[in-house]
Amino acid sequence: MGEFEVHRVRFFGLVPAGVRCLACQPRGGRLALARTDGAVEVYNLAANYYQEKVIPGHETRSVEALCWAAGGERLFGAGLGGEITEYDLARLCAARSVDGGGGPVWSMAANDSGTQLAIGCEDGSVKLFQVVPGGIQFERNLDRRKGRILCLSWHPAGTHIAAGSIDIVRVFDVCSGRTVQRIMVNYHVQKVKRECIIWSIAFLSSGAVVTSDSFGRVQFWDWERGTLLESHTVSTSAVLSLAVSEKEDSIIVGTSTGATFQFQLLPVKIGSLEKRWVRTKPFQHHTHDVRAVAHSSTALISGGLDAQLVIRPLMEKVQKKSYDAVLRKFTFPHRRLVSCARKARLLLFQFSQHLELWRLGSTEGTGKDGEVLPLCRMPEHLLQLKSKGPEHIYCSCVSSCGSWVAYSTASRFHLYRVQYEGDGVSVKKVPKAPKMLLPAYQLQFSSDSGSLFVASARGSVHVLQLLERGGCKHLHTFRPPSGCPEAVYLLAVSADRHWLAAVGGDWVIHVYNLKCLKHHCTVPTYSCAVTALAIHPLTNNLVIAYSDQQLFEFSIPEKQYTAWSRTVQNCGLHKAWLERDSPITHIAFNPKNPSHILLHDIYMFCVLDKSLPLPDNSTLLMNQSTLKQLPETARQRQLHAFKICKKFQPLLFADLLDENCLVMVERPIMDFKTQLPLPVQQKKFGT
Amino acid sequence: MARRRKASAAAKRGPPAALPGPPSSEDEAPEAVSFGEAREAAETERKLVGEAARRHRELLREKRRRRQELFAEQKRRKLLPEAVLQELAAAPPPRPGGQAAAAERGKSRGGGAAKQRQGRVQRQGRVQRQGQVQRRLKTDKQRKGARSKGNYTAVCLKDQSLTGLHQQLAKDFLNTHLYGPDTKRAQANEFFSLENKKNPVKKAAVEFVDKSWGQEKKQRALRFKIRWVSTQIKN
Repeated sequence: MGEFEVHRVRFFGLVPAGVRCLACQPRGGRLALARTDGAVEVYNLAANYYQEKVIPGHETRSVEALCWAAGGERLFGAGLGGEITEYDLARLCAARSVDGGGGPVWSMAANDSGTQLAIGCEDGSVKLFQVVPGGIQFERNLDRRKGRILCLSWHPAGTHIAAGSIDIVRVFDVCSGRTVQRIMVNYHVQKVKRECIIWSIAFLSSGAVVTSDSFGRVQFWDWERGTLLESHTVSTSAVLSLAVSEKEDSIIVGTSTGATFQFQLLPVKIGSLEKRWVRTKPFQHHTHDVRAVAHSSTALISGGLDAQLVIRPLMEKVQKKSYDAVLRKFTFPHRRLVSCARKARLLLFQFSQHLELWRLGSTEGTGKDGEVLPLCRMPEHLLQLKSKGPEHIYCSCVSSCGSWVAYSTASRFHLYRVQYEGDGVSVKKVPKAPKMLLPAYQLQFSSDSGSLFVASARGSVHVLQLLERGGCKHLHTFRPPSGCPEAVYLLAVSADRHWLAAVGGDWVIHVYNLKCLKHHCTVPTYSCAVTALAIHPLTNNLVIAYSDQQLFEFSIPEKQYTAWSRTVQNCGLHKAWLERDSPITHIAFNPKNPSHILLHDIYMFCVLDKSLPLPDNSTLLMNQSTLKQLPETARQRQLHAFKICKKFQPLLFADLLDENCLVMVERPIMDFKTQLPLPVQQKKFGT
Repeated sequence: MARRRKASAAAKRGPPAALPGPPSSEDEAPEAVSFGEAREAAETERKLVGEAARRHRELLREKRRRRQELFAEQKRRKLLPEAVLQELAAAPPPRPGGQAAAAERGKSRGGGAAKQRQGRVQRQGRVQRQGQVQRRLKTDKQRKGARSKGNYTAVCLKDQSLTGLHQQLAKDFLNTHLYGPDTKRAQANEFFSLENKKNPVKKAAVEFVDKSWGQEKKQRALRFKIRWVSTQIKN
């Protein structure tokens, strides 16, 4: 098969930002997520929980509340900056923002029909906004009292709003705007009188108000009488988040220690009509504070400050015991943050506000399988490019020869020429980048570093020609023939610069002919998102990986799927392959072995050999270790196409540098956990 | 009694400071000093003290004078240079429209649009009929507001200070209640090392070595290395 020298890179210092808000789309299968650095992501729960849209953050933007409005079509966010921002999901940017007018906004909720938004502000006022086609319009203020409004919830009928503040829960009547009930949530300890902070609140249609506070209690109140119905102490530290299911029979709460609990409305005795809320399931999926939870119709979703998104399907809601019922944990993004310059042996790391260019080390020695070779030259940090301004970086790329670096933020595009003199590096910015609609969502250099392809909004791809003396000229813009409202997020270029493939947010792959600058064909649509795309250098076959782990190979010159791809579809992929958690983010090829395809996802690296038979469900998929122990003759009988290596985890990037050299960029989770905010102390006996 | 005290004080002081007296024990009788000698001694003493006080007063006066000069200098520096002030004073008075606008702004703030327009015509007449004092006041106002020629545009920057302050207060609130003193937070190293301690096979803590140990020594070694390498390159 092959022996490879592996550059095992662990110096990519990525620290993912913690999850701050979650919002389930009311009648869709999407989940919106906001992080502490202001980035907003949308996960498609039906397409195998693929992270289909990412809006990078902004230095000054903090998101404290996120909600879907207008029937789940529009996404709004509000934060400590005091502004309500609408996110344009087609153009992946913050579209409009309106000043709330009450100082920092702590919470925001939309009513059931999605026509009104209520925000809770720092100055103690609850403001109502109307959701109109162009944006939002201020309607009126509700009764304002002292004390910041930390959480808000609409009654499902839209007649009342419950707001939680410090020590107080207030219920407002929406029509008159007056406070109709004040509930004191004080906690008097003998000596110390502490403030009770109500971190989250929910209004049930039965008239019960559920609150979670900083004393670790989840309490149920009767709003009309102002009395406590039930009180549950779940933790010694604060309970930070709360979410109620649509049917209002299940509640998920998240605490500061990283534990989440489920409460269910169960009958007191089997068959009796009286029901009580009971704390049923405890989970400890997170190590840090769980500041966001959501309850979809089949799963409990929690996001913590440890940057993990955990989706726990509920067994009783899952119809059949399949891979759908499995716990999902997402820590790393589903897109590539590393680019590799193969010829120059350089790696470009993309952080949120800067880029790092590293040169790989080298070794003289050789060794056997599994040996660690000594380095004769250490990896060098060549360059750090800081992005000017508060915006975060959308995408970046380095050319194969290492002499061009490009990146794009929401409003600026930067192209640099890098020169290597001996051991030193000099960078020169290319002035006067051509005017195009920014931001660029994906950048790709051609293999001879002569052109740069820029993925842009509305399905268009710009072709820029790079001139030798360091300039850049706009050559052409490709547009899909039938128009596309969404932005292009993946690009692939063939090695002979003949073909270009582009995928937009509508999941349709268009192939363009670069020689005659025209649209060539469209790959037949599939019902899932594309996660990786690559064109084979010799055969010009387009290899496509979908988010449901399906693989296709499409022949561009012949405009149809290849025979191998049809075989794969007929036999079906192995069950263990389809049951993988993370999507394939990068596909590479080996020029020496044309039948090899190299793929990787976060937990495995695979070399797919098309010339070998496909495994069926009865054989073991990850059989590399057993094969090594078998003698040569027995090995031949058991070989199959998928050669999977799970030694390097979690893998952010893997690529082939030359015929027997691989580079693997890992980011061990413990390496960044120590850089996250402090976790809550756990007292364990014996330590 | 006062005289006795005076005498004993004089005796204790003794002759002028140049001649230190012998240490007198309490058993011996006090020295006999004549009145004249004592008077001379007292005078010289008084003179010395007076000199010292005068010198002290002079010093203070000097200090005060210097401070006043400094303040005067600073005040002078704050004002526009002489030349510009003269130019402004000599500048022709602005047009009647401008004057009326200034007057209008000063007088009517809450007037409606139509009223303002009428008022402007009336006030124009009134302004031109007003006395010297008013005009001077107005020209003073305009002098401060008017500028000599120059290519510039005045822009009003977005008011950052208030929103920034609110945001900071909000963030502080969050920090105190999530990470404040009574929230029982643990250091990351302690937290993640608990597992290592509880395992059947005990392992070391997650961050075993504190990277901040011996920082100074490491920096000195680095500087020495750079210097040494540069000398080697020279040779």
